[in-house]
Amino acid sequence: MEKTRIVITGIGIVSPIGIGKDFFWQSLKEGKSGVKPITLFDVSKYKVKVGGEISDFDPEEILGKRGLLDLDRSTKLLLSSAKLALDDAGLEINEENSSRMGVSVGTTLGGLDSYSKLQREAFIEGPKYTNPSHFPNVGVNSPASRVGIKFKITGFNSTISTGMCSALDALGYACDFIKLNRIHTGMVGAVEDFSIEAFLGGYKLQYLSGFNGKNDPISCPFDKNRNGIVLAEGASTFVVEEIGEALKRKAHIYGEILGMASCFDPAHLYKYNPKGQGMIRAMRMALKDADLNPVDIDCIFANANSTQDADKIEVKAIKEVFGDKAKTVPVTSVKSNIGESFSVSGGFSLAAALGVMEEDFIPSLINYAEQDPDCDLNFVLGENKNQKLSHVSKIMVNTFSFNGAHSVAIIGKLK
Amino acid sequence: MHDPRMKKRIVVTGLGVVSSIGIGHEEFWKNLLAGKSGVSNIECFDSSKHRTHNGGEIKSFDPEKYVGFRRSRLMGRTSQMALVAAKLAVEDADLNIKNSDKTRIGVSLGAATGEAQVIEGIDKVWVTQGEDKVDTKLIRQYSFDNIPSNIANAFRLQGPVRIFTTACAAGNYAIGYGYDMLQTGRADKMMVGGSDDFSYVSFTGFNQLGAVAPEKCQPFDKNRKGMMVGEGAGIMILELLEDALKRKAKIYAEILGYGLSCDAYHMTNPRSEGLAQCILNAMSEADISIENVDYICAHGTGTKLNDAAESAALHKVFGEKIKEIPVSSIKSMLAHTMGAASAIEAIACCLTVKNNIIPPTINYETADPGCDIDCVPNEAREKKVNIVLNNAFAFGANNSCLVIKKF
Repeated sequence: MEKTRIVITGIGIVSPIGIGKDFFWQSLKEGKSGVKPITLFDVSKYKVKVGGEISDFDPEEILGKRGLLDLDRSTKLLLSSAKLALDDAGLEINEENSSRMGVSVGTTLGGLDSYSKLQREAFIEGPKYTNPSHFPNVGVNSPASRVGIKFKITGFNSTISTGMCSALDALGYACDFIKLNRIHTGMVGAVEDFSIEAFLGGYKLQYLSGFNGKNDPISCPFDKNRNGIVLAEGASTFVVEEIGEALKRKAHIYGEILGMASCFDPAHLYKYNPKGQGMIRAMRMALKDADLNPVDIDCIFANANSTQDADKIEVKAIKEVFGDKAKTVPVTSVKSNIGESFSVSGGFSLAAALGVMEEDFIPSLINYAEQDPDCDLNFVLGENKNQKLSHVSKIMVNTFSFNGAHSVAIIGKLK
Repeated sequence: MHDPRMKKRIVVTGLGVVSSIGIGHEEFWKNLLAGKSGVSNIECFDSSKHRTHNGGEIKSFDPEKYVGFRRSRLMGRTSQMALVAAKLAVEDADLNIKNSDKTRIGVSLGAATGEAQVIEGIDKVWVTQGEDKVDTKLIRQYSFDNIPSNIANAFRLQGPVRIFTTACAAGNYAIGYGYDMLQTGRADKMMVGGSDDFSYVSFTGFNQLGAVAPEKCQPFDKNRKGMMVGEGAGIMILELLEDALKRKAKIYAEILGYGLSCDAYHMTNPRSEGLAQCILNAMSEADISIENVDYICAHGTGTKLNDAAESAALHKVFGEKIKEIPVSSIKSMLAHTMGAASAIEAIACCLTVKNNIIPPTINYETADPGCDIDCVPNEAREKKVNIVLNNAFAFGANNSCLVIKKF
């Protein structure tokens, strides 16, 4: 049977380093950082005062004034990225194609802020004084549902919550629906908002860089002095289509999804398997799904989020999978610019990877200062050092969660 | 839609239930047929300041009995219920996971509010003692992805692991995904279902919307006063028919397919067109027609809006034929177990086709011309049942319908 080919035709990004794919790519080229002082809530009593917040986010600019009143931040972020993606794809939704389109969204903490706020309000003021119009926001599937409602997409509407893997898992889900011929076009989203609940969680669990007051909060994947994540927010949406549909409407094609894989590593709860078996297996499965060998991969967008164990284990896993090629394949991580956006991280990496193929640049690791003997891959440092960019046609995107989920995507230039 | 020649046959070989009317599918089924109600006065939090005070709470759940103290204390109640249901399902399926290829077994779960009581614990400390006093143990437990990870970790599974958070239809979405994993050859066995513990926020929010019945849940009744919040977990073992036959497993039912749709209209106000579309999608994928349907396990929440829209959707799809098809809602007994609801209902469907008895809609008193269906009032009914539909419609109009067949 002939393999269904699926392509990406629209990109919508709302990130701490830029809103819209062009600003996003430009910031990556310039090596900008999205880490800045937190303004969304009071952090004066904490040792960490910075994060990947989108300070200039104005949903009205993108969505117009109407209908935003009762929506929470995660919903506005996702709606904005969905609008940008649809515009970018030049896709019009009408009665004819609406039921052949579906919404697939990855988010894990997307409704948490609304959920907890309503709960605390009920505890303090009494349950009868909570605002019923805020109740629909407590659902994690609320952002995805609002995308369905706003853009009238009726095929299906699903939300997946697998932590760091959510964005790629949502992509895999939509691809399955296309392969099974249930839909021909998917809106694949991911969102996390910068909330006090998520911040405090990361802070108290000592995941956040700079939590102990000894180190500066900094996102520096693979650097010897990395010391935790910098929390970030954002949203990504991709329009994915069966290739025939895209060609029929003469859409611009950014790239093709060549392979996807996902597996579970049961070694530990709440921390990575030091042997990296899940990472190794996920990368190998994705290569097999794409019918490629490690030598075919031109660039890797690592999961690396600037924690000691995750980065080190990933280096080991890449060496195991890539053998000799591990010495030469360029490795980078947009988390050095953005921080850890959790469910969206795979979406930001994917958008950056599409930028590599579109604009001929590989974003370098910013904040990288000192080499770690345990992390010795061909990292992309400085200004596109040594990279033959026109040759980059196949890119691996890794997302690995400390809760055991491991998902990998491989994308390529359209042949 | 999907080429039937490519289809693999997928069967259900194990059932695990944790519910307010019984733990384990035997007790659950016995009480379901007896029309026993699991609704009682809420004890897990103080409901004195709410308008209503009853729900489908599980009063006698002791996770340590099933999974041991050390493991159960690591997780919240939703994970505990899911893990116990998974363990019961694995035992029921007589599955030797130790000697199986664990890279070919995955988990696909649904949840609406997830570890609600963990978050409740966090927020309680937050408002009384300040956010700095919150126990890190609770913070570690609250995230949705912990729920399937806890199960996969306990059984050392390495296949695809997912959680769907599509609110009140999450269980059906998760079962559908498990079905797809087997269809597309990425797993040989899947633990599928849903779990949700009793959520203070759900109870508060639905109360504020005026959607909660004070005493009893009366789906399709003219004087129905709303839904009731409940809790529970339901897990099924899905496997390829050829594997099940090879290991001489007992087979409850076959999954023929499922359908999804989205109204794309309103967050809380369902539309019959969208519901009808998802039922049509499911029947098309399962390659059956309206003549083949013998029973419909309704979403039937007991709210004015849902039951009327669901009845209208059934009339749209089945026309006159709907008069001959029993449609019952077990939420009349269990209340609405949220992300677990459609999973527990799918288990009821498997037992229905296996035993040829249809569970009733209890608390039914007065017929509603707006819900002109045969809701199997108050008493279980014997009938030869070959094919059933399992409906689940969620907040945000995330609709789903699963097709289950007698094996």
